[in-house]
Amino acid sequence: MILPSFFADSFYETILALELFLQSIVNGTIQSGFFALAAVGLVLIFGVMGVVNFAHGELVMVGAYTVWFLHAQHSTPFLITIVIAILVVTVIGILMEKFLFRPMRDDPLGGLICSIGVLFILQVLATLVGGDGPSKQVPPPFEGTMVLFEFLRIPYQRLFSIAVSVAALGLLWHFLTHTKLGWALRAVSQDREAASLQGINSNRISMIAIAVGAAMAGLAGALMAPLTNINPHMGHNVIITAFIVTIVGGVGSLSGAVIASVLYALFHTFVTTYFNGTVATISGLLIMVLVLIVRPTGIMGHRVSE
Amino acid sequence: MSTHTQRPARRKFLKKAAAGTVAATTASVFPNIVLSANKTLTVGMNIPMTGDYAPWGLPGLYGCEIIANNINKEGGVNIGGETYDIKVASYDHGYDTEKALQGFKKLVLEDDASMVMMLGGSTVAAVLPWATRKKVLTTTLLPSDITPDSDYLVATCESHPLYNVTGVEWLAKNFPDVKSAAIVTNNDAEYGLQSAATYQAAFEVAGIEVVDTHLHGFDVTDFAPIVSSVLAKNPDVFCMATSFYVTPIMEQLYHQGYKGKIISCTLDYYDEIIAKTSKEFVNGTIFQFPDFDDPKLQESGVNFPDPAGFDAAFRKDHPNDWSAVAWEYPAILLNWLDAAKAAGSADSESVATTLKANKQEFIFGGGDWWGSQLWGLDNALVGRWPIVVIEDGKARIQEYGDVAGWLSSNKDVLVKHMKELGLRTV
Repeated sequence: MILPSFFADSFYETILALELFLQSIVNGTIQSGFFALAAVGLVLIFGVMGVVNFAHGELVMVGAYTVWFLHAQHSTPFLITIVIAILVVTVIGILMEKFLFRPMRDDPLGGLICSIGVLFILQVLATLVGGDGPSKQVPPPFEGTMVLFEFLRIPYQRLFSIAVSVAALGLLWHFLTHTKLGWALRAVSQDREAASLQGINSNRISMIAIAVGAAMAGLAGALMAPLTNINPHMGHNVIITAFIVTIVGGVGSLSGAVIASVLYALFHTFVTTYFNGTVATISGLLIMVLVLIVRPTGIMGHRVSE
Repeated sequence: MSTHTQRPARRKFLKKAAAGTVAATTASVFPNIVLSANKTLTVGMNIPMTGDYAPWGLPGLYGCEIIANNINKEGGVNIGGETYDIKVASYDHGYDTEKALQGFKKLVLEDDASMVMMLGGSTVAAVLPWATRKKVLTTTLLPSDITPDSDYLVATCESHPLYNVTGVEWLAKNFPDVKSAAIVTNNDAEYGLQSAATYQAAFEVAGIEVVDTHLHGFDVTDFAPIVSSVLAKNPDVFCMATSFYVTPIMEQLYHQGYKGKIISCTLDYYDEIIAKTSKEFVNGTIFQFPDFDDPKLQESGVNFPDPAGFDAAFRKDHPNDWSAVAWEYPAILLNWLDAAKAAGSADSESVATTLKANKQEFIFGGGDWWGSQLWGLDNALVGRWPIVVIEDGKARIQEYGDVAGWLSSNKDVLVKHMKELGLRTV
């Protein structure tokens, strides 16, 4: 049976619209993995140490540069470079805690300013290592694209990234909820003094918090490396997204950060697809402002009595 | 007695050894310095060498250094009876307007630059009042920087983005089945919107319907949604007007299974794009900037000395840095030197007058001063421009397009689209 052209056109357009809708869900879900990895690190560091780490985006950038340097420039296997990237960024995080944030513990503004200093230092170091000029590119180690239902397309590199992101977040969840160290970390995050009275070494826990947070940032950078333009300033967009997600999710709430990452990634992807990227970014910032006005605790945050 | 005869020999040995050491050290530390009795003529490059815009600055400096070294090795350049060595002084403004003005003044006042080359856009707008007042000849790659009063600002090589019309013309001629196009570009007024308007006009003239013009900001980290959105319009041609993000966009086109034609203003670092996609996918992509080992550039009518030798020297010294501007700033430098030789002086007023009075030879041949109909002053040199296509993983010129001819026939269509996008025209 031949459909009248109006119905045929209409049917074809409906299918196209549905394809775009489903592809947008896939695109948004993959994006949410990066957002969550970047945001949970920021939340962890803030929750335990009370420091707004402005250099967190640059930690992501260092992870990406490490993969570019070792994998793209020196042919080190990709999986090994991911591990090295995590280690490099973790060490940077530990040094930041020991030499900057710990001496500034009683001065939240001091820690913030120190992190801005680190931000510039890491950008300059990246320029020294990678040189001036164009953004760096990392050839994708996983080539090809998985096609589902003949229209949903997911590059294997992105599939690998989302799988690793979910696994890393799962491990972090397990660590925080099923290990003594994780309980200690959450205890310090809730009340540093009370935790100290229970015999928890807050210095050690702070170091673990920043190590875990930095490791997550390093992993995010390493996974992003084959999918994005790598340059010393790439951390700028990462930190903006991480702040939005952190505030919407509830400052200090890891589960809130993960939920907000998924919601924000889907929101951003859909607005970019159906309107454009600039509208998406502005809308995201407006939502953040709205949350601060209407529900300052965010989706999962709790009000703390004085 | 023996001591008297040995001492001078020892001193002589020490002197020679010291001289040899100094010479060897100098040669190894400063390999590009050719000892010369010539006077020095300084040209300035006030360009972005870091940041997002660095690919359109730094390779140009490398190219100019190669040209300057070649000229100096051959004994320098004779201007007004005096022989000069060429020195390239550079300043990295990182595409910051404040730094651009600071750098411009530094190059002119401290380095004594006779002419200053710039990329264009807001950084040129920042220096223009001072440059015009001080009568410093300045060059840009964006003729849209030209204003009715900018007597000392010229675009003698790239007329961004006017030459893009030639790529569309060639596409329409060779692929008559193509009926629709979608344009993706940055949303800035200097590069993206100018280019979008030009492509819109070129597609209209070629009878190709533009089904989507997607403008994006500089904060995009993931192009998957943008490409999904545009491909949903099912265009026959995907056009990247002027994008800083050609590589990630191409990567997304590849992964999302796009099978149509691709046209782009630039395709910088296309080797990296092939590494991220495939040679088969990138083959057939149309753009506007050739490699200089292209056989067509070795033919007569191209006003650039030994293009293949230049290409080889550049890639030997800077293997990963060739971009659209690698040869453009050198072409501007050579054009300016020709004018200075003809004028008998490197003084900006004399060179500017000579440039405008003489029939200039454009790098790819031909060349007419154009611009008053769009920007108020005929200070852009417009000549024929190459249409380049990737063939077997390599950029190859297909033919040259007539930019001036297209403009004389279709200027009104271009003006209409520029106005629609809110761009300045006279």
